[in-house]
Amino acid sequence: MEAAAIPANAAHHDHHGPPEANRSSRVDPQMLGMMLFIISEIMVFGAFFTAYFFIRVVHNDPWFPINGVELPKLVAGFNTAILVSSSLTLHWAETCAKKGNRFGLKAGMLTTFLLGLTFLFVQINEYVHIGFAPHDHAEGSIFYGLTGLHGAHVAIGLTLLAIVNIRAFKGHFTPENHLGINVPGIYWHFVDVMWLVVYFTVYIL
Amino acid sequence: MTAAVRQPGWTRAITAIVFGIAFSYGLSIGARALFGYDPYLDGEAVLQIALIATPFFFMVGLGLFDYWGYWMSGRPTRPEDHSGHGAKSWKSYFYPNTDHKVIGVQYVVHSFFFLFVGGLFAMLIRAELAQPGRQFLDANTYNGVFSVHASLLIFLFIIPVFAGLANFVLPLMIGAPDMAFPRLNALSFWMLPIAGVMMLGSFFAPGGSFASGWTAYAPLSSSAPIGQVFFTIGVQFAGASSIATALNFLVTIITMRAPGMSFFRMPLLVWANFATSLLVVIATPFIAASQFFVLLDRALGFNFFDNGQGGDVLMYQHVFWFYSHPAVYIMMLPGFGIISEVLAVKSRKPVFGYRMMAFSLLAIVVLGFTVWAHHMFVSGMQTWIRVPMMITTAIIAVPTGIKIFSWLATLWRGVLKLDTPMLFALGFLTMFTCGGISGVMLAMIPITIHVSDTYFIVAHIHYVLFGGSLFTIFAGTYYWFPKMTGRMYDEKLGKIHFWLTFVFFNATFAPMHLIGVEGMPRRVADYADQYAGWNLAISIASFGLGLSTLVFAYNMISSWRGGPRAVGNPWRALTLEWQVSSPPPVFNFDTIPTVVGGPYEYGIPGAVHGVFADTPPPVTARTTPATTSSPARD
Repeated sequence: MEAAAIPANAAHHDHHGPPEANRSSRVDPQMLGMMLFIISEIMVFGAFFTAYFFIRVVHNDPWFPINGVELPKLVAGFNTAILVSSSLTLHWAETCAKKGNRFGLKAGMLTTFLLGLTFLFVQINEYVHIGFAPHDHAEGSIFYGLTGLHGAHVAIGLTLLAIVNIRAFKGHFTPENHLGINVPGIYWHFVDVMWLVVYFTVYIL
Repeated sequence: MTAAVRQPGWTRAITAIVFGIAFSYGLSIGARALFGYDPYLDGEAVLQIALIATPFFFMVGLGLFDYWGYWMSGRPTRPEDHSGHGAKSWKSYFYPNTDHKVIGVQYVVHSFFFLFVGGLFAMLIRAELAQPGRQFLDANTYNGVFSVHASLLIFLFIIPVFAGLANFVLPLMIGAPDMAFPRLNALSFWMLPIAGVMMLGSFFAPGGSFASGWTAYAPLSSSAPIGQVFFTIGVQFAGASSIATALNFLVTIITMRAPGMSFFRMPLLVWANFATSLLVVIATPFIAASQFFVLLDRALGFNFFDNGQGGDVLMYQHVFWFYSHPAVYIMMLPGFGIISEVLAVKSRKPVFGYRMMAFSLLAIVVLGFTVWAHHMFVSGMQTWIRVPMMITTAIIAVPTGIKIFSWLATLWRGVLKLDTPMLFALGFLTMFTCGGISGVMLAMIPITIHVSDTYFIVAHIHYVLFGGSLFTIFAGTYYWFPKMTGRMYDEKLGKIHFWLTFVFFNATFAPMHLIGVEGMPRRVADYADQYAGWNLAISIASFGLGLSTLVFAYNMISSWRGGPRAVGNPWRALTLEWQVSSPPPVFNFDTIPTVVGGPYEYGIPGAVHGVFADTPPPVTARTTPATTSSPARD
């Protein structure tokens, strides 16, 4: 706003704002930043999967069921469905934002948030009833390590979704300006896809 | 008083720290009471929570999250008045600032402070090793001193000082008014003092500071006294800082280049930081994870490294070195960029093989991820991994060799100006080549088995990190000193500094090769009498090396205070940062320049790199001091 208010021939001592930066790429800086952040997040998971590999494959102790305790594959499977459906509702909300459908945006974002919250509650409930602790054996450590790391990412994602919700309900997004939904949105999709990988390797394999 | 507490700043930050400590007590006691632990109050538990929580309270108190807080809660953000942009006096450097130039200076000065602290620890180490037997450090303190020495110099000097130099010059070089995310930039700087205070503070922990080396191998680290946690958590903050900066650099380089600045017209410093940032974004999460494992094992009784419970000890080394081998390139590639700038300008010739220089950086990035297990030849890992790692390690010397030979070809028949930055650049070329050759030696499995954990390793690491990285840092600091401060440094003192450093550096570290091959073990406070002669000589030389940095410190401080004013372009360089005044205006450029040619067309008559719309061709130095163009906004 400052830069626009100054006549173009003003002396540079009166220059109030920075010059407009040249945009040398069609990618949004925010989106690119989030993508790079997601790459580093994938590497954090990669390190935890390395630990998983060493404990399960290199050390080669029997995987679950351990001492008769099996992982709750079915409950976690339903939970997976909940998380995947939250990605779909998020996509619906984004489409509504693009079309200018305010109600759809708000309903979609709120549903996504509540589905994510449900996932987290089911996960915590699973911890309470699962029947082993991280300090019982290394398999337990990596189970809690991977699912807990993912849970932490769900929590971060939910924080981002909460922000989007607040701003959506305050009417901050327009069909032209909805980057503030897309950037947290891509993070939420990443959290979903990462859960599929965790679920498949830890519970199913 | 209430106003001071409510305004972002140091008063609020210190208040927040008090709240953070109270929060840690509350959380710890509450959680232990909830789960029925006895006693409710456990000092170590509180300390571990406090180490994680209080830094966040501190950063919130300092005001780093204020803008985001308004934005996130949907409240109106204050219109950008640029009041937190640019330094108004020296006091501005002690507050969060969004100006990349201020942040750059904050980074560099902060890092050099830790160079001197880390150097003092080196002096302690050499004093202890001057004679066989115990001088004045007991064995455990000695372990702590060399661990803190290495950790400070790696995580709080070499990695951030490169980020600082690049922070200052990189946006100028590509013709951007600032970094892509200025507030994230401020946040990533302020995580560093937190890491530094933690690592130094570990000396006050019961049981002494962390003493398991900068590598912190498990299970030694997961069963060490509480001082270890200061490293485990401090590294997380340093790592988060460098990831955030790297992300910022990548976005800035990709999206904010000036018109005409194609990738192959970028100065090689920009290329080098592009490559380094890729390494940081991809590799640094691994050290974060390795320290998470240690913390979980220590604090919550996980079994990642408990072999009896099915854990795997070697996993730590694999995860750690998957970061820490790329980390040696994180500590070297930005230096390669600095050397390319200095050599081209000071020999008045285009950089030889510009494209190969850029591609070899990328080759190092890729190959850097394939060599980590050469640190583990004697660790007892599967033997079949050894030979592939030996081969990839030998291969990674090829792109590095391309760079060395290209620099030599750049010098060939150039008009060399042997001033301080150039001397350090030439010193780097010779010393880094020596360090590189001992590196290729160490890649060979039989030699590694023979000299593993001896002073040969110490000699190698100091030839690449001191003779390599630190020489490039000195070269870069002298080279951009006029741009950063608006003053010229004292050339005579600079040359004295170089020669003292060069001579004492070699006197200190070259003999370590010999005693290493003879079998003197590293990381031990005492040694056999047969090494006494060389060790005394090394210690005396190292004190000379320590004193030589005082010449540097005096030169920097006195020149900054009262050196002659620098013109905009004292080196007659073509890159964009030299086409603005020294120090640059608050917003870098009045109008974004247009790039019309390569950055190193020296010796070609009429060659131009960038043109400015409102000024006739570049080299005219605008000597407006930055203070007069600071934003006078209400």
